[in-house]
Amino acid sequence: MRIRAAVSAALASAGILLVGWQSGVHVSDTRSAVAAAATGNQASGTGITDSSGAASSESAASSGTTGNSGTTGSSGAAGASGTSGAPGAAAKAGGTYDGDVVQTRFGTVQVQITVKAGQITDVTALKLTDAEGRSVQISNYAAPVLRDEVLQAQSADVQTVGGATVTSDAYLTSLQAALDAANL
Amino acid sequence: MQQTSETAHRLRARTFTCMGTVISLAVPTDAHKAPQAAADELEAATAVVECLFTELDSIFSLYRPDSEASRLVRGELALPEASEEMRARYEEAAEWRLLTEGSFTPERPDGALDLSGIVKGHAIREAGMSLLALGMANWCLNAGGDVLVSGSPNPGTDVPWRAGIVDPADRRTLLAGFPLGGAALGLPRLGEKTADGGTRAALATSGSAERGDHIWGVTAGAAEFRQVSVAAADVVTADVLATAIMAGGVPMLNRATAMWDIEALAVRTHGELLATGGFRR
Repeated sequence: MRIRAAVSAALASAGILLVGWQSGVHVSDTRSAVAAAATGNQASGTGITDSSGAASSESAASSGTTGNSGTTGSSGAAGASGTSGAPGAAAKAGGTYDGDVVQTRFGTVQVQITVKAGQITDVTALKLTDAEGRSVQISNYAAPVLRDEVLQAQSADVQTVGGATVTSDAYLTSLQAALDAANL
Repeated sequence: MQQTSETAHRLRARTFTCMGTVISLAVPTDAHKAPQAAADELEAATAVVECLFTELDSIFSLYRPDSEASRLVRGELALPEASEEMRARYEEAAEWRLLTEGSFTPERPDGALDLSGIVKGHAIREAGMSLLALGMANWCLNAGGDVLVSGSPNPGTDVPWRAGIVDPADRRTLLAGFPLGGAALGLPRLGEKTADGGTRAALATSGSAERGDHIWGVTAGAAEFRQVSVAAADVVTADVLATAIMAGGVPMLNRATAMWDIEALAVRTHGELLATGGFRR
């Protein structure tokens, strides 16, 4: 019985997830229990969409029971759908949503997503600045560059030379040795 | 490096040999000090730095049979009985191994403990703290190609130190430049971000060009890079990540640039370059 409840719970939450991704789109799929749960929820799909952002386990449970055979949406299902991560997907079928304000090493970051037909169609940065209000680079990665695209330096124009560790012998013929000698 | 070479402040440098390489300390000449006083100050500072390097080398050198590290490798000493300094460095190295998912490791392929990947960076870091404690605000410390700076070559300004990175294919020429420092070490002003590359104090380079392949790869992509330079706020981070990227290839490079606030310039085996924004013109 316990196992059955767990399975039903899983099916119900999977169904809610499906609705989340597909609400607004036709659920043409008519496969077994999952599909049944999905279409069952589809009936009340708009109701969920309009409800507040976080579809509580309460509303999830209610939609589960409305849709189809009450057995699937039993008490087990209510608990499961609450924790399944479905609410976000299920509730947000369209519109724009602001993310949390997050502190990163690049400064304060907040993004806004635009959702259409259950799909994220745009991501905009609402806050992407450091304390001084300058915008800063957020995605740092090493890209292929040509030699003349990197910061240039002439040995006469630098004060120190970096490189893989030189042995004390190799140092004697190094650019750093020339610099040091000039500054002795 | 659009900064025109306005070296109104001439530099003075002192060097010494330790850890199999040469360490040089350069400071700007101070117009407000008597020449002899400035020279004495640099002399004294160099002595402090040399003492620190020598002491660490006597503990960690695997070239010295009587060092604590050598006794550990020979099994005459177990890590729990090792000195506090040894255990602290082991702990630090082990932490970096976790953070780099094994690309940086304090162990040789044969399992022997080898902390030399972190000791030089640690020595530079300690030396930097000593120099600051001595009240020196403007200096450039170069230990065998790894660099830590403080302040500016033009005291009283925020003009950065200009570092060149040697071309692994021809070490008489420079591959690139990078501005270092320009602000007091350890005193980052609020909101002072380093995305523009102007306020990083440390630059470390790892490669196979000078000492042969002493870095062992942990992945199939081991020989992807010939040289890797990393600029960071602190020298141990720069040094460890340069070593890790050298060993871990492109995946580690991407991981490092995503997880740490660094700039990186990597030279592939055939000379192609990969660079983060701070290294680009």
